[in-house]
Amino acid sequence: MRLLRQPGIVLSALVILLTVAVMLWPTLFATHDPYEGVAVDRLQGPNGTYLFGTDHLGRDLYSRVVYGAFLSLASAGTAVLVGVVVGAVVGLLSGFVGGRVDFVIMRFVDVLIAVPSILLALIVVASLGFGPWAVALGVGLGAAGSFTRIMRSQVVRVRNEEYVEAARTLGVRWPSILFSHILPNSARPVIAYAALELGTAILAVSALSFLGFGAQPPEPEWGALVSAGRDFVSTAWWLSVIPGIVILVIVLAVNRLARAIGENR
Amino acid sequence: MSTAGTSPNRAVAVLRYLAPKIVQFVFVIWATYTVTFLLIHLLPGDPLLAALSVKGGDATTTDPAELEILRAQYGLDGSLWEQYWGHLAQALQGDLGVSIATGQNVGDMIARALPNTAAVAILALLLGVVSSVIVTYFAYVTRWAWVRNTLLQIPPLGVAIPAFLSGLVLVSVFAFGLDLFPSSGSRSPLSIVLPAVTLALPVGAIFFQVFSAAVLEAMASPYVFTATAKGLSPRTIFLKHVLRNSLLPSITILGLLIGYLAGGTAVVETVFSRDGIGRLTVDAVLSRDSNVIQGIIIVVALVYSAVNLLVDLSYGVIDPRTRATLSGRSVARAKDEAAVEL
Repeated sequence: MRLLRQPGIVLSALVILLTVAVMLWPTLFATHDPYEGVAVDRLQGPNGTYLFGTDHLGRDLYSRVVYGAFLSLASAGTAVLVGVVVGAVVGLLSGFVGGRVDFVIMRFVDVLIAVPSILLALIVVASLGFGPWAVALGVGLGAAGSFTRIMRSQVVRVRNEEYVEAARTLGVRWPSILFSHILPNSARPVIAYAALELGTAILAVSALSFLGFGAQPPEPEWGALVSAGRDFVSTAWWLSVIPGIVILVIVLAVNRLARAIGENR
Repeated sequence: MSTAGTSPNRAVAVLRYLAPKIVQFVFVIWATYTVTFLLIHLLPGDPLLAALSVKGGDATTTDPAELEILRAQYGLDGSLWEQYWGHLAQALQGDLGVSIATGQNVGDMIARALPNTAAVAILALLLGVVSSVIVTYFAYVTRWAWVRNTLLQIPPLGVAIPAFLSGLVLVSVFAFGLDLFPSSGSRSPLSIVLPAVTLALPVGAIFFQVFSAAVLEAMASPYVFTATAKGLSPRTIFLKHVLRNSLLPSITILGLLIGYLAGGTAVVETVFSRDGIGRLTVDAVLSRDSNVIQGIIIVVALVYSAVNLLVDLSYGVIDPRTRATLSGRSVARAKDEAAVEL
């Protein structure tokens, strides 16, 4: 296998597999209760018992990071899903129908792209209320513009291919053309972009949680953990820095794999 | 070719090049305003009640008469249609309304916050662009593969690092540890350094992706081949030929960077407790202050679209070849391509 000769990719894949396992079965990995602390052991640095140290209530930071994985990553995943689904449907429609519909849709997409995506996410959060899923929806809609544009350009390219023309000449109906010819042949760049967007979404979701719009305490979401640890940054650096590094490592791994997917086209 | 302005044909050509871009600019601002308005007002929940409930205390009132007075005061009275036109007419005259949370004029609030944010953003942009040019220079000039490989690892790291992590680490080391810079606030001129460095990391990394691709392309071009054949040193080739030719195409990414900075300031200004647009936005969303949110969106969309417009126009001036081929959506398209490359 050519892939195995690239240690970066193998390492990234391992990181992601481990993260997914932690996300799905936190009980297997956690060493303490993520919500109940031991008051005597509060604000301890990383040590043998508490791998990542403890917070001001004596809660084990490692177990909190483990239990936070689901909320942090599931909301980032939801954000990408929202972006892909909205983008794919609108882009497919726009590119396939063409004409005036295409023109109007694309002008709206121009607007979506003209607003920085984090601001768009903030507007959605401001109107829907706070919480991890509102954040996910906001981040997803912020990314939907780019997905729409990529999907549309692919559809426009594929639509004029000979095999589509052949199918049309043979009298194949348009839903069938759409799903068996156009969609499979235009999906690849969208998938590559979705993989990249996952890294961005993890960062955006954790940034919005850090700002206080996502999961609320005592929920151990990663961005919220960093934010809670900020009050102790001069005395207990690990509370903010370790969850931050966890996010960094996972985003690095996701981005590395995403680039590999993009290059293998 | 005749000189600028003297020939009517040339004026018409310039106008034909400019007009669609300016129309697009105006449309984007208007549509952004409208979409924001609809999102805020059509989604469930009354904006005034939401803001008052966050304000809490004696501000909470259920008396219909009192609510009506408050609605009129904040321009939230009448039908949705009336509100929309009322706000739009006001905004066109430069009046962005009154903040529900603080009672201050929204335009004044933004005008006070903007210089702080602009200073950090511009310094971050400069630091990011200069350092990514330097990294690229050393990466392509060096004879040792390991230096190149190490240098090329920095940009992926810059893209992946959360701004709150780099900000907090910088505060811990340079403010609390070494006591070189203030940890928070925006009073001292030195307080701009750490936030700018925090933002420069991702900005430089994003710029690098586009710039290094342009450098690679330039390296493969005939003029570099000629220069190498002439016996010029890699340093001279990079500085005299490659740099100039690869910086120009990288300008298109500027709009994307401004957009990134607009979002990044929210986190950075929170980490460093600075006054600015980012902090203002976060506070407005936290207090669900629809007038302030709307005002900020307009100003950010204005700045962002203006930069994109300028980039588009400067591109036509710098490189005449593009005048014929670049359409109004060129910047946005370059943005997508850059995003895919990241």
